[in-house]
Amino acid sequence: MLCEICKKNVATTHIRSVINGVAKESHLCAECAAKQGVDTFTDNGLSGMLSSMFGDVMSLGSPSGGARCKCCGSTFSDIAETGKAGCPECYKTFYEEFLPYIKRVHGSVKHVGKIPGRSAEATAKEKGSNTLSDLKAELAKLVSEEKFEQAAQVRDKIREMEAQG
Amino acid sequence: MSCWYNMEAPDGDIAVSTRIRLARNINGYPFPARMSDAQRLEVNAKIKEAIIGSDSPAAKRLKYIDMKDVPENERLSMLERHIASREFVLNSDNKAIILSEDESVSIMIGEEDHIRIQIIMPGLQLEKAYEIAESIDDLLCERLDMAFDGTLGFITECPTNLGTGLRASVMLHLPVSESNGDIQKLSRSVNKIGYTVRGMYGEGSNAAGSLYQISNQVTLGISEKNAVDNLKIITGQLIQKERELQKKLDKIKTEDLCMRALGILKYARVLSSAELITLICRVKLGINTGVIKEDINTIKILIEGQPYMLMKTYGDMTEDERDISRAEMVRNALK
Ligand SMILES: [Zn+2]
Ligand SMILES: [Zn+2]
Repeated sequence: MLCEICKKNVATTHIRSVINGVAKESHLCAECAAKQGVDTFTDNGLSGMLSSMFGDVMSLGSPSGGARCKCCGSTFSDIAETGKAGCPECYKTFYEEFLPYIKRVHGSVKHVGKIPGRSAEATAKEKGSNTLSDLKAELAKLVSEEKFEQAAQVRDKIREMEAQG
Repeated sequence: MSCWYNMEAPDGDIAVSTRIRLARNINGYPFPARMSDAQRLEVNAKIKEAIIGSDSPAAKRLKYIDMKDVPENERLSMLERHIASREFVLNSDNKAIILSEDESVSIMIGEEDHIRIQIIMPGLQLEKAYEIAESIDDLLCERLDMAFDGTLGFITECPTNLGTGLRASVMLHLPVSESNGDIQKLSRSVNKIGYTVRGMYGEGSNAAGSLYQISNQVTLGISEKNAVDNLKIITGQLIQKERELQKKLDKIKTEDLCMRALGILKYARVLSSAELITLICRVKLGINTGVIKEDINTIKILIEGQPYMLMKTYGDMTEDERDISRAEMVRNALK
């Protein structure tokens, strides 16, 4: 099989990506793969193809408009251009915009791996409150304890779950 | 100094090396691409303190190195020993690396993410490598405010690494599967389950030295254990298949191919980098099939014959001079 970009060298790099729910296989030679940002060493992925996938997301319109991340000042179009976030906070600021894109890349938007020890307590809480009724019970408890900040977070989560049906 | 590639390599006939990488970031700072010099130095110090300053036994075997103190040839040779990325060694201002003595542990600070933990081991050793990476990550998670989200997992600059931030990969030497035309078929089937096959950067047609890297592509929605276990199963099958194919090779043709390669390596006076990769991989095939009986560490020769590895030992050279020096190094190694 020849490389689909230069049509000259044998394709030795084979990558599958899911775009708009359609799986696409790319077969590239090492040289063209390197140009596309595939690095055998870092496995940083296909930044070239990535930003084009963000392009799809962008064309759907950005719910945050021209909003900037409070921490690093990035707009979502800055992020879409490079395929990379500016800071950890960006994922919170542009959560809605990121979501469909993340789903395309990973097929999932729910982490199931390791949880760092520091937030173990918080995570145990989250794990114990996977269902809507658990969350509502927790909300009532937090309100009764006047922990309003945490209560607001739980309330948002409930809204989110209810919106998803 | 004994480097990782001098160690015992389980399944080393086909599996060249195993790599585990964890991408991590700390809260309160932009990702490295957007960091100011002052922020870089601050983050370096924080991570240094978290690892080196801990009383963990693992920390005693690790050394913090400021990249600005590393001479250029040494710096670039890190890429050839697979302990740092191209991006990292080419643009190393205000970056730092933490290394174990045998360099099997390398922690890049200020690469694409704040922290990139990498474990590299010879042969197929996925579980062991992951275990070591996890112990370092535990240390970091205990001592630093790591960027983590209950839904998205570990937060990374590139969304493709979200979740576990884990990339597990195995480098395989697949000369017969390749000449059989099996690689495309194989890559298509592993692609379907979220794994990727990449040929080592080679010139022209096939992957250099028939070396292929298999790694997981998906990091969100899959646990570390599953990602590693699946890769172990996939590589196990590829290794099995390649071994069977190697057994069926025509004896005299294989013997001729491999002995010629060994002959050239033993007596050549000028040897290019590309030629070394091709020939040393043939020698490897010869050893696997029992044609070559000598005890040769082919991976060590392959790595130590790279341009910056030579220059870090023998000083700056032109390409022509390097080809002569490489031939000499290989002759000595095969004596
Ligand atoms: Zn090409
Ligand atoms: Zn930001």
